[in-house]
Parts: sequence; C-alpha cells; structure tokens
Amino acid sequence: MNKKEILKLAKGFRGRAKNCIRIARERVEKALQYSYRDRRNKKRDMRSLWIQRINAGTRQHGVNYGNFMHGLIKENIQLNRKVLSEISMHEPYSFKALVDISRSAFPGNKNVVLPTRKVNVSSINV
Amino acid sequence: MASSATATATFTTLLLSSSFAAQCNISNHHRQSSSLFPAPKTPPLSIFKPLSLKLTPSFLLPKTSTFSSIPKSSESDAAVVDVELEPGNAEPESQFQSELEVEPEPAQVVEASKEEPKREEIFAVVMIGGRQYIVFPGRYLYTQRLKGANVDDKIVLNKVLLVGTKTTTYIGKPVVTNAAVHAVVEEQGLNPKVVVFKYKKKKNYRRNIGHRQPNTRIRITGITGYQDYPAVTLNS
Repeated sequence: MNKKEILKLAKGFRGRAKNCIRIARERVEKALQYSYRDRRNKKRDMRSLWIQRINAGTRQHGVNYGNFMHGLIKENIQLNRKVLSEISMHEPYSFKALVDISRSAFPGNKNVVLPTRKVNVSSINV
Repeated sequence: MASSATATATFTTLLLSSSFAAQCNISNHHRQSSSLFPAPKTPPLSIFKPLSLKLTPSFLLPKTSTFSSIPKSSESDAAVVDVELEPGNAEPESQFQSELEVEPEPAQVVEASKEEPKREEIFAVVMIGGRQYIVFPGRYLYTQRLKGANVDDKIVLNKVLLVGTKTTTYIGKPVVTNAAVHAVVEEQGLNPKVVVFKYKKKKNYRRNIGHRQPNTRIRITGITGYQDYPAVTLNS
C-alpha cells in the first residue's frame, strides 16, 4: 500500500500515528491484524450476546436458558439464537408462546422463582 | 443483573403497548438496519431532535423517503413536517411549541392517509442460504448470492420457520407447512470491500488481499399459505 492509502486508513488514530507515515504504517498494520482477528471474534461475541438476551427473556417467564433450548430441541423447533433474541425483544407474545411450548416439552424448572419487584427501602417514608 | 433489569424494563414497556406498537418497534428497528430509502440528509434537522411534539404514533411508521434517516422516528417525523411547513422559522422552538403542536397535525394526518398503502401486519422467519432472517412485506434484505436468479425474478422461499401476525403466531416444527414467502430479486451485487491483511512478525510475511462477497438483494412482496397451520392465538 502506498503512503496515501495508509494515511487514509489511519484517520482517527492518536497523536503522530495519523500524520507521520513511519508511525502510521505500524499502527495501520496492527489495526488490520486486529480487524482480521475480530471478524472471527465478532461471531463469538454476538452469539454470547444473543444467549444473554434469550436467558433474560426466558427467566421473566420462569424458565432458564438451558431448559428452554432443551425444550425447543425436543420439539424440533430450529430457530437460531439470533432470531430468538430478536423475538424476545420485539415480539413478546410470540416469545411467550415459544416459552410455553418449551416448558410443556421439558418441564425442568421446578425451583425457579419468578423475579419479584424489589422495593427500595429508602423510598418508604416512615 | 443489570442486563436482566433492563430486559425487564423493556419487556414491561412492550407489554404495556399494544402488539401493534410492538410491530411498530420492530419496523423502526429494522428500518434503521436495512436503510430502506436513501434519505436526503439536511443538517438543520438535528436541531429539532429534542422537540417533543404530540403525535398519533400509530399512523407515522416512517415509510416515505424524507423520514427515514433519523433514528428517533416518531418525534423527528413531526420535526421534518415542521421544517417543511415553516422553512423561515429560525427561532428557538420552545416559544412556538404550542402553535407548532396544532399546525402540523392536520398536515400529518393528510400525509399519512395519502401515503399509507395497505401493509399487512405480519412477519416471518425464513431461512435463506443457511441463515435465518426476520422478514416483513415491502422490505428488502441482502442474502448470499442466489445462483441462477436474474434481476426481476419472482422467488418463492419455502423454509418458513415462524409466521407471526397481530393476534396469532404459527410456530413451525421445524417448518410451517405450505407457507411461502414471495420475493423479487432486485439486484445481484457485492458486499463492501473487506481488507484481509495477514502478517507474521519478524518473518517478513505480509499479505494484503481485498475481498468482496457476492450478495443478492431481494424485496419481500408477501407471505402466504400459513393459515391452515395449528397456531397459538393471543387471547386478549
């Protein structure tokens, strides 16, 4: 890559790395290495985020993520975690239907307590 | 804990709003991600964002080209209409807010009734090219390149995993039988370029490769064939 392309890629870098070619070249190479690595990491991170969101959504209905997925597999529902997390955020009624199907297929959650509203002690005026 | 708390908050707000408003949320969200209409960006609009004007939110799904570039859709729709109605108004809006609230509303209702074709409130989860997408009629999406599809070809997608309407959900095990999503191929293009830079330190090894993945843009025209499937109905 010639100097012009390197300095174009170095926009937003800190200090001399955005202006001086010898420093910019090193930083841009590092940035490109990170982007190569992170394109693979992004897939892992997104899946982890989806699982957290599905977990949060199902725990509101008294089911945890593991039992929920087990129930879906038993019912041969092949929705992936990306779509499940989107449904849990934007389509609450469809998501509740999925949780009910999973719970009937695998009733594993006898001891899970539904989250109760915690009252802030300081807000009570006595 | 924090994530579950925020999830609870969003969940309750979703429950409080009707299911139509929940559809409203999805369409706005996906509108941002798919950037449907190229919108002319006008700098003065950014000033109007903090305005809180009264609206009838159910009519103003941002479907026309002037509305879509701004993230806060309901407030900024009114802001856009304001700018169009009163172009010479450079003074701070807080003084004139009461007048502005009255004026744009008839214009908004007229625009909404003129420009709102009948859109069915329905969505489907469809599997294309090994990936699953949530799909709405009238929107487009980018998928892996479909070989053998030319521009303006009608396409029927059969792997429909879930169909949802305002009142019922059809959950497929794994597929909703006889359901079909109709689409039209709009364009066979390439993804934006990704630079694949491989480097090993102290070994004088550098490889600089650019890559553009072929894709296909398809526009969804309709979702059919799901009616006879056992459904979960909302009892409300």
